[in-house]
Amino acid sequence: MATQENNEDRIALLQGTLDLLILKTLLMGPCHGQGVARIIQRQSEDVFLVDHGSLYVALQRLEDKCWISARWGVSENNRKARFYSLTAKGREQLNEKTGEWRRLTRAMNLILDSASGLKGEEA
Amino acid sequence: MFGRKRSAADFQAEIEAHLALEADDLKGEGFSADEARWKAQREFGNVRAAQERFYLKGRPVLLEKLLRDIRFGFRSLLESPGFAIAAVLTLALGIGANTAVFSVMNAVLLKSLPVTDPASLVYLQTSDAPRGTGTIDTNQTFSYAVYDALRRQSKALTAVIAYVPLSGSKVAVRYGTDPEEAEGDMVSGTFFSGLGVNLPVGRGFTADDEARHAPLAVISYNYWTRRFARDRDVLGKTLYVNAVPMTIVGVAAPGFEGVEGGGSTDFWIPLQNRGELNAWGNPPNEGKLYINDPTWWCLRLIGRLAPGVNRTQALASLQPVFQSAAYIELGGSPKPGEKPPVLSLEDAKGFTGYDRMYGNPLRTLMAMVGLVLLIALANVVMLLLARNAARQREFSVRQALGAGRGELFRQLLTESLILVSAGGVLAWGFAEMATRLLGRWAQIESSLAPDRTVLLFTLGVLALAGLLFGLAPLQVALAGKAELAIRTTAAASHADEGKSRIGRMIVVLQMTLCVGLLVGAGLLIRTLRNLENTPLGMHADGLVVFGVNPNIPSLQAGRSFYLDLMGKLRALPGVESVTIVLERLGSGASNNSDMMVDAKLPDVVGGGSRTVRSNVAGPGFFTTLGVPVLAGRDFADSDTAKTPFVGIVNEEFARRFLPGANPLGHTFGPENGQVKINIIGVVKDHKYRSIDEKPIPMAWYMYAQIPVIGAMNVEMRVHGDPLAILPAARNVVQQLDPNLPLIQPMTQRAQFDTTVAQQILFARLAGFFGLLAIVLVGTGLYGTLAYRVSMRTPEIGVRMAVGARREQVVWMVLKDSVALTVAGVVIGIPLAMLVGRALASSLYGIEPLDAATYLLAVAGVAAVALVASAIPAGRAASVDPMRALRVE
Repeated sequence: MATQENNEDRIALLQGTLDLLILKTLLMGPCHGQGVARIIQRQSEDVFLVDHGSLYVALQRLEDKCWISARWGVSENNRKARFYSLTAKGREQLNEKTGEWRRLTRAMNLILDSASGLKGEEA
Repeated sequence: MFGRKRSAADFQAEIEAHLALEADDLKGEGFSADEARWKAQREFGNVRAAQERFYLKGRPVLLEKLLRDIRFGFRSLLESPGFAIAAVLTLALGIGANTAVFSVMNAVLLKSLPVTDPASLVYLQTSDAPRGTGTIDTNQTFSYAVYDALRRQSKALTAVIAYVPLSGSKVAVRYGTDPEEAEGDMVSGTFFSGLGVNLPVGRGFTADDEARHAPLAVISYNYWTRRFARDRDVLGKTLYVNAVPMTIVGVAAPGFEGVEGGGSTDFWIPLQNRGELNAWGNPPNEGKLYINDPTWWCLRLIGRLAPGVNRTQALASLQPVFQSAAYIELGGSPKPGEKPPVLSLEDAKGFTGYDRMYGNPLRTLMAMVGLVLLIALANVVMLLLARNAARQREFSVRQALGAGRGELFRQLLTESLILVSAGGVLAWGFAEMATRLLGRWAQIESSLAPDRTVLLFTLGVLALAGLLFGLAPLQVALAGKAELAIRTTAAASHADEGKSRIGRMIVVLQMTLCVGLLVGAGLLIRTLRNLENTPLGMHADGLVVFGVNPNIPSLQAGRSFYLDLMGKLRALPGVESVTIVLERLGSGASNNSDMMVDAKLPDVVGGGSRTVRSNVAGPGFFTTLGVPVLAGRDFADSDTAKTPFVGIVNEEFARRFLPGANPLGHTFGPENGQVKINIIGVVKDHKYRSIDEKPIPMAWYMYAQIPVIGAMNVEMRVHGDPLAILPAARNVVQQLDPNLPLIQPMTQRAQFDTTVAQQILFARLAGFFGLLAIVLVGTGLYGTLAYRVSMRTPEIGVRMAVGARREQVVWMVLKDSVALTVAGVVIGIPLAMLVGRALASSLYGIEPLDAATYLLAVAGVAAVALVASAIPAGRAASVDPMRALRVE
């Protein structure tokens, strides 16, 4: 889950977050892998650059868990592509993971904010 | 996971679709088509890696780890191919040699007879045969009368099985038109049923077949395969045995090659009652065959104990039957002062003959290859230890980077197991080859194919090796500490002192074993040279010998057949002289009995044996063989049935029975005193039965003057290659009788060599294993010392920097191996003495404590140690102090 090397502004995806991002992206409707990558990249304002190899392995993993389903179709510019869509199970997981992530970021923020306050006092 | 829905090709297609879509998008952003494609590819990164992850995903984690370990193990072994090759070859040689010798031992000594319930089978043996009888083997053969009496009782033995070969070697058989030779036995009707041998094709013999002397034959599975290509139509066909037609009625079970030790029987026929098919191919003795001659004890007997009867009980009921049967037609009771023979029952589980012939050599060889294996294993352990020690830094770095200790152990264990498996596979191939060679050299004709026991043995050895080699990485795993990586210095190398103590002990052990092996090999090789250089007492080169077994209707016809044959053979171009003899020289066979000298049993000074070896020879026998006639003359064509009976004796005969007298003019004759033979010549002692025998009194009859005649051996002295005369000789024989093959044609030299072939093979193998051991010890020593020197390079650098001289450094290194060598030799000599004592019975012309051999062995070990240390020592001395110090 590494980001591409020469982009210092970009941040490595945390373990497990790629799954969450994929599920979220698919909530908007079926999409092929390249589309998922583009959407994640665009919506994160180019902070996340998805490693494509990892993406496809992750997609396969989610498919094996039956959180998403896939079938071959044709893209808007008439190319063959494998389209992924969210299953009911995947929707459930998305809710659960989103909740988890929210709790995590809140906890992180609590700590980071208080730490910066301390730092400010010292300065 | 296992029912994966997607194929790798589908995954590949998806990636290609991705690249196309990405390129489209990029084109939309203003890139050219080429640029877009290239950029899409670049952004995707490593397509192969993604595919590989797709592959690996979904496999069981353990399997994945194992595969990774194996791949890693191979890679790391390939990084030091020298080590890997040395280790695998060492293992293959050590284990292969053990497997090969064990296969032979298993086939020859351990395997039971391929019969039903071998535990209840017993060989019948006797303490002796009654006086006035002739035997094939004093303890193991019986007369037909004894067999007949024993089989009539039924309480102790449910079956009495009698068998006797049709010839001492092979007999003439004919199937279709071509005469050939094969090994055949005459057997009782109980043979197949009593032993419990299956007949996959056809049937065995019955009591009725035996009673009728039915002209039937059962062939061995091997012969069926070899000669008849497993053709089922062979049943009902005729096999001519010594020109007597026999109908083939069955094929014996695969693996059953008869109960004669040493050879494999090709066919069996029921006990016969006709002159052409007498036991052992002998001519009738005064008109009597084995079946009605109570003085000829020639049948071997096997019994099957009745259920619930043990050996003691069986013996108790058989003994009286045996002792009275022994004297049927021999006066009814023992002569005054004669002890009656005593019957005993021996285990019939294996092949009796084999154990006597091959038992000791094989056990000794097994011990030798066991020692070689120990040395080989020790070598590989040392190599592994050294290699792991040299990789200490690598391990430490890997541990510092987060590799678990367990992970490290697992990977090293995998490396060891790869070595063991590769060594094992190679060893099996090597063993197959070596077993076949061993079988051919030792002339063991029974099947040596490795069976389950052999496989288990090899797997056991491999498991032992695997376990040993697993300990080496265990030590690393226990000792390895991450901090070591940062302080691999001269100081740290001293921390290895404990480990090198193990190394030193292994080197001493190897030297010890090597001294033992070299002494053993040395003694056997000296034995070999003694055997090869033993004078035969005759001029054996240029002699060719073959057997003929003509169908002889009468004594007169027999004599004229041979006279005719000799005359025709003498007329062939290139032939110097031709004669005939009954017992072939160097075949191991002999006819032994007490003899009258001057019409009485001779008194031997000092109470020596009265046994005389007798033989029957033709005219010009000693001249043809090149045995010097010391006094009197050789047999001549002019000695015939009508002239006075003449005989020839050897020096030993004269020395023992006629001391101080001129033997010419004295007489000898058989024990019954019926015939008196005038001694007309004395010949020099020469080898008769085998090369390694001591002189024994001998007497020769003239073939034309004795009342029996049958199969004979023809001896021809020719110019040039002796074997080249055979086609012409075969023509001559077949002109006289188209049924006759030449039986076992070979040079007389080769015939003698067969008597020591086994010792020679044994000595060669021992020599080979000795050599193997010393090579292994040499490489092991070199490896250890080289490694030790390399570990001490910084120390040596420091010493040289502070003024140590070259010689001092060389001595410092050499001192070490000198100490090890001395220790090895000191412990090795007592071991060698044990080896020598164990070999005593296999030695010829050399003492087990032969000083020269011991010195040579010690010198050999010392020389190897010196050479193996000199190279590292030289390298140590040429260490550049600055460079060594910079290593710090």
